Amino acid sequence: MKILENVIANKNLLFTDASTGATTPVGTLYRSLGLNPVEKGLIFLYNDNQVPSIEVLLNFYGTAHAIAVLGQKLHPEFKERLEAEYRPKYIFDSSRDEVQGYLLKEFSETVKIFAKEDYQPDVTIHPDIKILLSTSGTTGVPKLVKLSDENLYQNAVSILQYMPILGTDVVPLNVPINFVYGFSIFTTNCMRAGRIVCTDKDIMQKAFWDEMEEYGYSTLGGVPYLYENLNRIGFFRKDSSSLRYMTHTGGVINAELRKTIFNYCHEFEKQFFAQYGQTEAGGRMAYLTTDGLLEEETSIGTPVHGGSFRIDPETDELLFLHSSISGGYANRLEDLSTYEQPKVLHTGDTGKRGQNGLYYITGRIKRIMKLFGIRLNLDEVEFILKNELEGNTVVCLNGNDKKIIVLYDNIHIDPQTITEIIKNKLRINPQYVRTEHIESFPLSQNGKINYPLLQNLQHENI
Amino acid sequence: MHTTDEFYEIIASAIAVKKELVDENLTYQEIPEWDSMSHLLIVEALEQFYQVKFDFNDILEMGTVGKIREKMKKYDVLVEN
Repeated sequence: MKILENVIANKNLLFTDASTGATTPVGTLYRSLGLNPVEKGLIFLYNDNQVPSIEVLLNFYGTAHAIAVLGQKLHPEFKERLEAEYRPKYIFDSSRDEVQGYLLKEFSETVKIFAKEDYQPDVTIHPDIKILLSTSGTTGVPKLVKLSDENLYQNAVSILQYMPILGTDVVPLNVPINFVYGFSIFTTNCMRAGRIVCTDKDIMQKAFWDEMEEYGYSTLGGVPYLYENLNRIGFFRKDSSSLRYMTHTGGVINAELRKTIFNYCHEFEKQFFAQYGQTEAGGRMAYLTTDGLLEEETSIGTPVHGGSFRIDPETDELLFLHSSISGGYANRLEDLSTYEQPKVLHTGDTGKRGQNGLYYITGRIKRIMKLFGIRLNLDEVEFILKNELEGNTVVCLNGNDKKIIVLYDNIHIDPQTITEIIKNKLRINPQYVRTEHIESFPLSQNGKINYPLLQNLQHENI
Repeated sequence: MHTTDEFYEIIASAIAVKKELVDENLTYQEIPEWDSMSHLLIVEALEQFYQVKFDFNDILEMGTVGKIREKMKKYDVLVEN
C-alpha cells in the first residue's frame, strides 16, 4: 500500500469540507470506518469528490479490497449494467436511497454503504488490482482499467519529480478523482501538500472564487475547456495571489489562449504544466513546462521521469514504457482474476520526436476523439446509435475535438433523433453534435466504409 | 418588455431540455444538462438574443433562472413576471 503509506506519512495533511468548513486530519480520516485490513472483495465507489467519497477511498485503500472509482453522475442504466456484471460486495453512492439486493449499512455517522445481501465471492480478484477506472466517462460499454498500487505509486513519484508541490499548498479538488488525471492530482497532493479542499463548486460559480479567496488555493487544474472558461470570465487579466501553478491535460489548447496563459504566467509569476496522460498509463506520460506554451506546434513535451517513449517504426504509433502501465482491461467480472502488465503501452496516438527532443502527436490510430477532455470512442458511439436507430448505419467522425459529426444515409432518419440519442445516452449537448445526410457511404477496396476518406472530406469542410 | 415564455425558451434550447423543465427555481448543476460546460451556452444565447454583454461577475452569479432574470435588469433587459 505504497500510496496510502506515503499519504499517511504526510502527517500535516488536512482535509477540509468547503460546504461546512469542517477539517479532518489525515490520521483520523484514513481509518475512520474501522475496516478489517485483510477483508477483500470489490467495492464500487461512485465518487463526487466530497469528503465522504474521499473517506471511503482512503479507508478501503488500506484493506485488501479492489476499488472501482466511478463517477457519481453516471447514467443510472450504466450503473445498473456495471453492477449486474461485477456484482460488487459494496456500493457507495450517496445519490441513491436504495439499490436492489443491497442493504444500506451505517459505517460511521456520515458514511453509509450498500452491502450485498447474499454476497458470494464469484471470482478471486487478483491481489495486484487495487483501483479500477473507467476509460471513458460516458460511453455505453463498461470497460475498466486494472491498476495496481505499484502502478499508481510509480506514476505519482514521476509526477512529484516536476510538480512544484509544497507542504503549505492548499489544493481544491476540482477535477473528479474518477478520472486518472484527477486521481493523480489527489494522490500527489495527498503525499506532499498541506490541505485538500473538497468542494462541489466550480469555476462558473462565484462561491468557488470566494472559497479560493478564503482558503488560498495554490493550484488549479483542468481540461482545455476549463481554460477557455477561465479566459471568458476574465481570470487571466488579474493576479490571484495564492495561485502558484496550473496543470492541464486532455487535449490541445488553442494558440491564442496559449499565448494568453503564457503572458499571464510571465506577468504574475505562475507556472503552467501541460500534460499528456492516459488511464492505461496509470496517470501522466509526458509534460511540458510554461515556456512550451510558446512553441509554434503543440508538443506534449518530454516523458515523465522513469518513463520513456518509442515510436513504432511501421505505424508511427507512440509507445510508452513505465512501471506505471496498467495490468489490462476488465470487460466482465472474470477479467478481475488476472493482472498482466505489458512491457509497452500502445497509446493509440501517432507521434514523432522533434529535433529539440520534444515529442509531438501527429494523429490517432484508434478512432477516438476528446470532447471537453473526455475520451469518446467513435466506434462505440456508432454502436449505440445503430442500436437505437433500428440497425441503420451511421458514421461518426471527429470534428476537430469540438463536435461529433454524425453522417447518415437513410433520408428517413430525423437528425433530431440522432442528437436526442446522443444527449440521452452520452449526456452531450446537441450543440456539440453535427448531423449530415450523405447519399451513400464510400467504401474501400475491402468493402468496408472508407473512414479515412470521410474524415478527410470533413477536414476540408472545417 | 420581453416575455417569460421567450426567456425560458432561450434557456431551454441552449441546454437542450424541454421548456416545461425551466422555471424560476431551476438551479445550476441541478440537472446534468446545466453544467459548467453548458452554462456559457446559456449566457451566449441570452447575450445574442437580447444584444447585451454580461460582466463576468454577473455570469458567475447566474445560479438560478430567477437570478438570471434579476441580473438582466442591470442590462435593461426586462422580462415580464
